[in-house]
Amino acid sequence: MAARRPVSILIGALGGHGGGVLTEWIVGAAAHAGYPAQSTSIPGVAQRTGATTYYVEIFPERTEVGAEPVFSLYPTPGDVDVIVASELLEAARAVETDYASPARTTVIASTHRLFSIAEKSVPGDGTVPREVLEAGIRALGRRFIGFDALALARQHQTEVNALLLGALAASEVVPMTAADFEAAIREGGVAVDRNVRGLKAGIELVAAGEAGAPAPRRDRPWPEVRAERAAALGTRGAEFLSLAARAESEFPEALLAVLGEALARLIDYQDARHAESFLESVRRVHALDSGTRLTQIFAKRLAVWMTYEDAIRVADLKTRRGRFERIRREQGAPEDAVLVVTDYLKPDLDELYGLLPASIGGPIARWAEQRWPEGRPTIGQHVKTTSVLGFLRVWLMARLRWLRPSSLRRQREFALMSRWEEAVLTAARLDESLACEVAELATVVRGYGEVRRRLSLATRRFLDETVLPAIESDRQAARGYDRSTASIREGRRHLLADENATRLPLPSGERTSVRPAASPSLRGRGQG
Amino acid sequence: MERSFAAEVKQLTLGEGQVLRGEGILAITKALLQSGVSYVGGYPGAPVSHLLDVLADANESLLKPMGVYLDASANEAAAAALLGASINYPMRGAVTWKSIVGTNVAADALSNLSSAGVIGGALIVVGEDYGAGASVIQERTHAFALKSSLLLIDPRPTLPTLARMVEEAFGMSEASNLPAVISLRIRAAHMRGSMVCRDNVRPAVGMNSRLERHSFDYGRLSHPPSTYVQEAQKFERRLPAARRYIVERGLNETIPGEDKSIGIILQGGLTPTALRALELLGMADPFGQSRVPMLVLNVIHPLVPDQLLGFLEGKARVLVLEEGMPSFIEQELKALAHDHGLTTRIHGKDVVAAQGEYVPEVVLAALARFLGEDAERRRRVLTEHVGRGRAALRTPLPKRPPAFCTGCPERPVFSALKIAQRELGETHVAADIGCHAFATLPPFNQGNTILGYGMSVASASAVAPNFDRRVISILGDGGFWHSGLTAGVANAVYNKQDSIVVVLENFYTSATGQQANPSSGKNPRGDRVTMSIADTIKSLGVSWIKTVNPYRVADTLKVIREAMTTAAGGLKVIIARAECQLERQRRVKPETAKRLRAGERVETPRFGVDPDVCTGDKSCMRFNGCPSLTLKENPDPLRDDPVAHVDQSCVGCGLCGEVAHAAVLCPSFYEARVVHNPGALARGLAGARRHVIGWLQPA
Repeated sequence: MAARRPVSILIGALGGHGGGVLTEWIVGAAAHAGYPAQSTSIPGVAQRTGATTYYVEIFPERTEVGAEPVFSLYPTPGDVDVIVASELLEAARAVETDYASPARTTVIASTHRLFSIAEKSVPGDGTVPREVLEAGIRALGRRFIGFDALALARQHQTEVNALLLGALAASEVVPMTAADFEAAIREGGVAVDRNVRGLKAGIELVAAGEAGAPAPRRDRPWPEVRAERAAALGTRGAEFLSLAARAESEFPEALLAVLGEALARLIDYQDARHAESFLESVRRVHALDSGTRLTQIFAKRLAVWMTYEDAIRVADLKTRRGRFERIRREQGAPEDAVLVVTDYLKPDLDELYGLLPASIGGPIARWAEQRWPEGRPTIGQHVKTTSVLGFLRVWLMARLRWLRPSSLRRQREFALMSRWEEAVLTAARLDESLACEVAELATVVRGYGEVRRRLSLATRRFLDETVLPAIESDRQAARGYDRSTASIREGRRHLLADENATRLPLPSGERTSVRPAASPSLRGRGQG
Repeated sequence: MERSFAAEVKQLTLGEGQVLRGEGILAITKALLQSGVSYVGGYPGAPVSHLLDVLADANESLLKPMGVYLDASANEAAAAALLGASINYPMRGAVTWKSIVGTNVAADALSNLSSAGVIGGALIVVGEDYGAGASVIQERTHAFALKSSLLLIDPRPTLPTLARMVEEAFGMSEASNLPAVISLRIRAAHMRGSMVCRDNVRPAVGMNSRLERHSFDYGRLSHPPSTYVQEAQKFERRLPAARRYIVERGLNETIPGEDKSIGIILQGGLTPTALRALELLGMADPFGQSRVPMLVLNVIHPLVPDQLLGFLEGKARVLVLEEGMPSFIEQELKALAHDHGLTTRIHGKDVVAAQGEYVPEVVLAALARFLGEDAERRRRVLTEHVGRGRAALRTPLPKRPPAFCTGCPERPVFSALKIAQRELGETHVAADIGCHAFATLPPFNQGNTILGYGMSVASASAVAPNFDRRVISILGDGGFWHSGLTAGVANAVYNKQDSIVVVLENFYTSATGQQANPSSGKNPRGDRVTMSIADTIKSLGVSWIKTVNPYRVADTLKVIREAMTTAAGGLKVIIARAECQLERQRRVKPETAKRLRAGERVETPRFGVDPDVCTGDKSCMRFNGCPSLTLKENPDPLRDDPVAHVDQSCVGCGLCGEVAHAAVLCPSFYEARVVHNPGALARGLAGARRHVIGWLQPA
């Protein structure tokens, strides 16, 4: 039996992400070095965003014609030398399907994520944690060479697949030399300089041993951030600093960042009084909190809720200088280029009369909700916020902040908010984990228009009909609160995952004689 | 076309002794020319589309000068009928399609062809779309070969073998008067290797050396009483002739091996998998020298009894490796052994998985079981890690199903359909074959049945009259011209079906690589054609026809709503017309780059999401699913869930904004139009605007 065996490389890429070219470079390099090689692929629906796999075998010895080795068209679990993946989930997939073996397999992968539709469409966070994927790869791979090839590609003006090729060249698992790979790129003749740059960057990266190290994530110290927030608030910065100082004197270190961010946000959203009432609530919860975990969660959720996105808030966010700078940056628009931003806004009547004082808005709301039970008309508009008139329209809406404290919308939001707050306090007196779960419920209330109205309703009913009874029955049974805690966690997931909770409304201004088959919850309006 | 095949075309001109480097399908294409074909045709389908793609590109420079006719067959039935030329005339012809589906469509013509018999070699190159990566129902072509007496070649996958088998197939077809089928697995079609070429051969009969006389012979008509004679000929003359040819030309391969008491009989296509498994089990070297004797059947129909008996002779145990069910080879072998009173124990499906692709894991397990303890031990060592990956990852990883490309004009139609059904109630949606079948996957989940290419409308025929809402059939332009026109639309009009047909006209048969179809305005040879789906449907007497621009979701929605609710009976046809975005981008991207370099004014629209306005309810994802609409970490320190984000791959089709608007989702979406090289005036105006706005603008 000959000692020499084919070297096997399994490549996992996504349609249109250069896996085919990468494969051709590898085969080309082998040809250049004079080693027999064969590649194949399951392009399936290449370029249609599905996962695409390529498989290459290289015989690490020059052979005479007629004495070629047998090349397999398939990778064999336990017999794969290298797995190259253009994205982290695809690398983990090769692990899941047993192609990586601790004895043999080097895994070379870009650690950036391209989320699958299943991960993307879950309200809340449905993504698979990066750590889980990397742990799986490290557990089953002999060696893991991982780096964010997408970020590096942008930085080095090159392509992901060229960087991966470089890493492969440097991994010393394949018999070809860097020169062979470069020759293959040159023979390929496509964007040669760009790709050779990538090859070299990839080689250096592995040589320098930078690859594989998990990227460090450092949180900036609060004092540094505090100064920034104060500056951003301009004239209101002073009020913020005094409130922040009060919080710092009152609450433990661990809470300062969150409380500070929250105060800045609330003042920015409304005013110092708004922020003070926030501190009031946090105080009440913290008084019952043995540690800081509950207060932390409660403060985050409350601050976000107290800055609910009404038309004023949206208009405010859409007209900020920083926003247009961010867009320019993201679009990579050169200095001399002109940027035209068109916003897709579509407020509904609820949104508008929601701004009126409750005493006036209330009756109008009752009338409108009877007049259009399926959902109120909308005012659809495409606003050029980079034009003077377009900007003015949105800017004027943002000036209406003074209406907020007495508005119908505020009354409705705070009614539910205080119900939730009461539930958190009730739970806090009984059990910390339980209280944290109740606090997390606030994340269910999100979205705009009908989506938010329905999620709010669902949350209220969940609080009254499930949460409180569950807690009460646990209390009476004196069996601890694991059951109610679990059922609340489940309920929250369900409320978010249930697509009906974010069902679609009738489109703008259209009417039809046909009644919907599905529940009235189909009807509604977004805001904007 | 998906890509340019200039390099491949060049290789098709290679001559004696020159080396061709490329995919298996290219080797087969070259071998056709080396065999002196007079005509080639077929219907595109993975994994054999490239045969037609390459020849289309080679038509002017190579085929025409050689006098070879290239037919852009309307469907597989037309392609099979094309082979009728070889019944009466000494013309070699080849056609190609995806099997099993294409073979099903071609079945009628194939039966007639093989009954009449051919005098010119007739070859069908089928892409055996079976196993991982396959996009069709899992059946093998073998049964067709048996029932219609077609010669079926399942070649050992190396470029030289593929080429040789094509050339031999023509010889065998002429020697036996039977059409030959060469079956190419997905990985073999895409396998890249090299082979030494021979010169191309000009066809004896072709467009440059035409026939002068027609040939009439009632005996060659598949029509009674000839059919009775032809049936007898198949089994008395034609198949025996084929068996003789197989032996004389040594089409099947024997690997001697020293362990004479056992043996393996296998389909040629499985050879490398089996030899690799044997190597891993210590029973072969990397060069294919096996210690176990092997009979490699490059021709799996007909089998040659004497050859099989010869191999069985003196063997205690033989394993048959035959992918797919039923196990025709194993059964025939067992019957044969039984008839001859052989004691050889014949293993097959008793030790190998019955159905499914024979991937290494399967073959390795089977061989280990067949070879005994030492082999089993080596296998255990090799696979001891199996299953640990799943355990280490804890959760099953999310699938990554294929989806509509960024900016695809089909996606908005399904967004509109989803919105419309939310509003009017959900209804039965008959799906079809094509990219639009991706709508059956998340996030759209639209489509209750798929009955085959162009069959959607027909598949709704019995649902429509029995469903209390109007049913919707989806049809691509490819499917429409393939068979949807007759089996679907005409059939529905004839039956007064009251339903809705949504035709997605994107001007190409896109799923297989943007091949031209009658909606493209030209055929694959480049000849201009003027065929219109709208006019064709009108001519059938359909009066309710609306054409929409799919990117205008609100308009499409309005038309769908009207179709669902109108009092008008009969068929309501909605034609969503817009070019396949993949093809469009291939044209537009280089142009834009060029104009930018030239310093011309270029507007690049792209969409975006304001991360501080997005609350992460993800409704946009569930009504869109665009690859460029993804997630990013929430920049807000007080929020944990990721927010929606439009990445660099956005082509500015506008769907996300349109959906957010039509469905009233949220105000997060905006269009950012960057005007490059705007010119002094526009730049000045923009500056002035920024100045004025600057006064009012908070940080």
